[in-house]
Amino acid sequence: MAAAASATLPVLRRMAAMPLRDPFAFAGIVIYLLFAIVALTADQLAPTDPMEILFTKAGKVAANLGPSAEYPLGTTNLGRDIYAQLIHGTESALAVGLSAAVIVALVGTVVGLVSGYFGGWIDALLMRIADMALSLPFLPFVIVLMGFLGAETSNIVLAVVLLLWPSSARVIRSQVLTLRERAYVEAARVTGASQARILFVHIAPNILPLSFVYAAIAIGWAIVTEASVSFLGFGDPTNVSWGMMLQDAFSSQALSRGQYAWFMPPGLCIILVVVAGFFISRGYEEVFMPRLRGR
Amino acid sequence: MKQVLERFAHNALALLAVITILFFMFRLMPGTPLAAFINDNLNADQQQAMLAQFGLDKPIWQQYFIYLGNLAQGEMGLSFFQRREVTAILLEVLPNSIILTLSSLIIAYIFGVLAGAWLAWKRGTWIERAAVPVVLATRAAPEFWIGMVLLAFLSFNLGWFPSGGASSPGLAYTSNWQRIFSLDYVQHLALPVLTLALYLQGLPLLLMRSNMLEVMHEEFVTMARMKGFSEWRIVISHAARNALLPVATAFALGVGLSMGGNVVIETVFSWPGIGRMLVQAVSVHDYPLAQGAFLMIAAVLAVTNFAADLLYMVLDPRVSHGRRS
Amino acid sequence: MKRRSLMGAAAAAAVAPKAFAQSAAEKVRKINLYTWPQAALPQAYQASQLIAQQWRQLGLDIDVKPLQRQAQTALIWYSRDKWDTTMWRMVGRPERADPDEFVYSLFHSSYADKGYDFIGYKNPDYDKLAEKQRGQIDKEERRKTIFQAQEMINRDQPYAFLVHPKYPLAFNKAVFKEDTVVNQTGVGIRNIWTFTTIEPLGAQKDLIINSSESLNACNPLYIGGAVDSWITDLIWDRLMRIGPDGTPQPWAAESATWADDTTIDIKLRAGMKWHDGKPVTVEDAIFSFMAPAGDKAPMYKPFVTEIVSMEKTGDLGFKMKLKNPNAAFFTATLSKINLIPKHVWEPVLKDLEGKPENAEQLKEVNRTGSGPFKIVRWMPNEEIVLEAFPDHFKAPRIARWIMRIVPNAEATLGMLKRGELNFLGFFGGDPEVLVKFAKENPDIVVRTETDVGFEFVAFNCRRAPFDDAAFRRALSFAIDRRLMVSAAWQDFAVPANSHVSPVLSYWHDPAVDNIKTGLAVAKKILQDAGYRLSGGKLYYPAGKQEKLTTE
Repeated sequence: MAAAASATLPVLRRMAAMPLRDPFAFAGIVIYLLFAIVALTADQLAPTDPMEILFTKAGKVAANLGPSAEYPLGTTNLGRDIYAQLIHGTESALAVGLSAAVIVALVGTVVGLVSGYFGGWIDALLMRIADMALSLPFLPFVIVLMGFLGAETSNIVLAVVLLLWPSSARVIRSQVLTLRERAYVEAARVTGASQARILFVHIAPNILPLSFVYAAIAIGWAIVTEASVSFLGFGDPTNVSWGMMLQDAFSSQALSRGQYAWFMPPGLCIILVVVAGFFISRGYEEVFMPRLRGR
Repeated sequence: MKQVLERFAHNALALLAVITILFFMFRLMPGTPLAAFINDNLNADQQQAMLAQFGLDKPIWQQYFIYLGNLAQGEMGLSFFQRREVTAILLEVLPNSIILTLSSLIIAYIFGVLAGAWLAWKRGTWIERAAVPVVLATRAAPEFWIGMVLLAFLSFNLGWFPSGGASSPGLAYTSNWQRIFSLDYVQHLALPVLTLALYLQGLPLLLMRSNMLEVMHEEFVTMARMKGFSEWRIVISHAARNALLPVATAFALGVGLSMGGNVVIETVFSWPGIGRMLVQAVSVHDYPLAQGAFLMIAAVLAVTNFAADLLYMVLDPRVSHGRRS
Repeated sequence: MKRRSLMGAAAAAAVAPKAFAQSAAEKVRKINLYTWPQAALPQAYQASQLIAQQWRQLGLDIDVKPLQRQAQTALIWYSRDKWDTTMWRMVGRPERADPDEFVYSLFHSSYADKGYDFIGYKNPDYDKLAEKQRGQIDKEERRKTIFQAQEMINRDQPYAFLVHPKYPLAFNKAVFKEDTVVNQTGVGIRNIWTFTTIEPLGAQKDLIINSSESLNACNPLYIGGAVDSWITDLIWDRLMRIGPDGTPQPWAAESATWADDTTIDIKLRAGMKWHDGKPVTVEDAIFSFMAPAGDKAPMYKPFVTEIVSMEKTGDLGFKMKLKNPNAAFFTATLSKINLIPKHVWEPVLKDLEGKPENAEQLKEVNRTGSGPFKIVRWMPNEEIVLEAFPDHFKAPRIARWIMRIVPNAEATLGMLKRGELNFLGFFGGDPEVLVKFAKENPDIVVRTETDVGFEFVAFNCRRAPFDDAAFRRALSFAIDRRLMVSAAWQDFAVPANSHVSPVLSYWHDPAVDNIKTGLAVAKKILQDAGYRLSGGKLYYPAGKQEKLTTE
């Protein structure tokens, strides 16, 4: 128990304290929190239904309106509130990003742990599967999946997981390989701790930061992928997302009309969220990956 | 040599797995592939004949081996809509994709390596602090969005670049080589390459920078410093050479990776490449063509993965020494 | 009987709405309205949202379900008993300038299981009208029948017709002489008449047109996609062509006349040549109509099955004997079948005999025609280049006809501005933007034409509640057509209530145009038919049951 605590607690404490030491990571976490708050309060922030067709007082469709107090970012060429779409887009970004993050972290961690700790044929098999997953061309795979299996957002999550679990599993595996030889793990083994206990109590907590890094990366990937696929016209047509907004803006020629308030904000939001992921992962890498720490 | 063979077998096996996954994914999809045709001129018999023509009336495992056999001979069947050999269609557009990918990667890596080394040298200054987030932002922006914005400003508004396509209307060339080296082609290539390069330069830049920072702490650099070499000379002659190795590997991997990622860029710029062919085939449900385009991209990926493995073996002394001893 | 049940329902409703709902009538189930994703067809998507809003006010539960194109086709076309309503469209084509195709195949019960009557409308009275008009060679008589057919469809409302869209196309008048561009009824300026008469003003002798889709096939015996027909139209001649006014005119034929109800006398134009220099003969013409008759050109076969026999009558003349009198034959067949050289195709078709392949799957297609243009180069996904054929009787004045594949609207306008295009043959973007663009670029002339085709909501007549004409009428008339035009099609459309477009002014029955729409009208129809509102929900007339397991 004491041994476990000595392994776990400092890691968690360092994880929690890290953002205070690294301004980038701090910025990243602030951005994430902001978007999360927006997503959770979307209905309050933008009470208008993002797909509702709006009419002017004269009974005409409120199309192509410029930014105003009523519609902070104006309306689309078919009379939808752009601001409402942007705000509600955070919900879908959060949903896609978080589900991808959780699954990638989970699969990557479990495979990495098992592979690294047990070695042998399990290791060989899992790593071969990882190799195969890495030889799938990513975006084409998502397109084929969406185009033929159905335009559902869950397919995007599936594809992002398929792409990212191998790299996270590999890195975690190599970390486990070094941890396995550490003195305190050795000590636990000598005192007769069970395999599972060693694995989950002594080793797993130490690789948590790495799982976290890959989760942060997965959020960005999932959101960009959703946007690209929607842009190509294979997105889930019922889902209001930033990618759908950009696709709509592009095909409705917001560029020709100079409706910057339409096609700039979703792009900037994507950049912000993805950059936040980079910031966080870099912060944790620099603090926790010994290779980079020494600089 | 044994290692080379091992890596080759590895990648070949992975490709075979991709082919298999793809094949069954396409065949086990709900509905008949013929749903792609809305053609009331076909009666039930004719539909059956059509199924037979595309070999879709046989048991699925049999179809699989027929497919593998044909693939081994470079045959990928007929496109549902174009009624032409998929292989021929794809080979026509493949060069455009390779040129787009290679030229943007080369530009991105030359820029990235130089800028990364420079930033490492400038470590701790405000330039570095400002540059890193900016570079991260270029990597975070969706490619198609950068493309959209560049196209709107540089082409539609300022008229500096053509709006799309690979050559001006009606220009004839005696050979594909002549076309590729023509000024016209380069003009059309410029904007998509720029966009792609802007997106791709982040990786080599950051990689180079962190490798440099790492290498500069190693013994031989410290030695050089003690010998009194100037800082810049150390960077150039010692650190950079060693830091380049992982970047070279990343380049090889990058060819395969960005071939797949080009799908969106090719669509934004109406570039006649394999990615756009894939998008088009998927959207009309032209199964053989979509499958072929996907496989060709996967094959390029497998080849470049193999190349990266080899490069890694040759370049990284730690790997080869470690194995040898 | 009907009145009694009505009264019973009303009485029950008066006692207790809940009891009424359970005992006497069934609630109309939730209705799925399928549509295209906004990304694919923004106007139809917008329309479906507006329609759902209006239908909900009738007490219906409406679920708008956007489906990607393939999924929708699979459902609507191949699972005909599994859907309620869907947005759908019929597109205009030159040969649809004769009302026969729409009048016959959309609603004739013989097409209900597999063909174009995908909604399953079955009405023996309508079948009679559809067959009758086909046999009426007398134009005036046929017109009467076609009017009757339109009135019957208006009464039954198997479709809720929404609009005939207007398509804006454009060209550059600094490059081409403005008055040499020809508008074709229901099609617009992108037509063979324009391409053969358009006159270049300066050094630019090439017409450069765009397409958002790439060419699939260039084969006189196969059409793989919409754009394919633009090209085959120019390379291969036909005996007749649909003229700018929408009626068939002699083209490669000098004349084609009815000798009797089932016999046509055809005389070829003298001096025609194939692109390889050989003369076009009567044998070639007869061969062209025989070639699709076998099993080697399934797509064109239906157009020649009417022909019983053909017989050469002179150096340039031949006779065609039909099974039945057929009023649409000049449009549907003589203007459709490509004339192909016998010396090229006879050996090809002979070679295919006994093989499973047909002419649609040929890997090497010989593209020798006799049309005003010949093919020079084809680069998939990039461009196709045609060159004027100077020996043609209607030799073009432009040197080359080049079609560029440009998948997005934004790039299309950019190219038009930079001169990379000088003829807009298709515009998938927002028409308003195009109009504004033309204002800023005064050399660009926009021409807009109302389509022969139309956009509509299809009701699946096989299933309750859509098996009831009153219900369909109510739903159709609940849709405000002016709102459709202004809010969904941004005024680039005219309201529709007929399968014969108003651009076919001779055939279109103006009597069906003035329909009264609005929620009040719809509610009254429902009420009169025995439907009842209870607790804001719509209930069937007493006794009626759905008898179907919903999907």
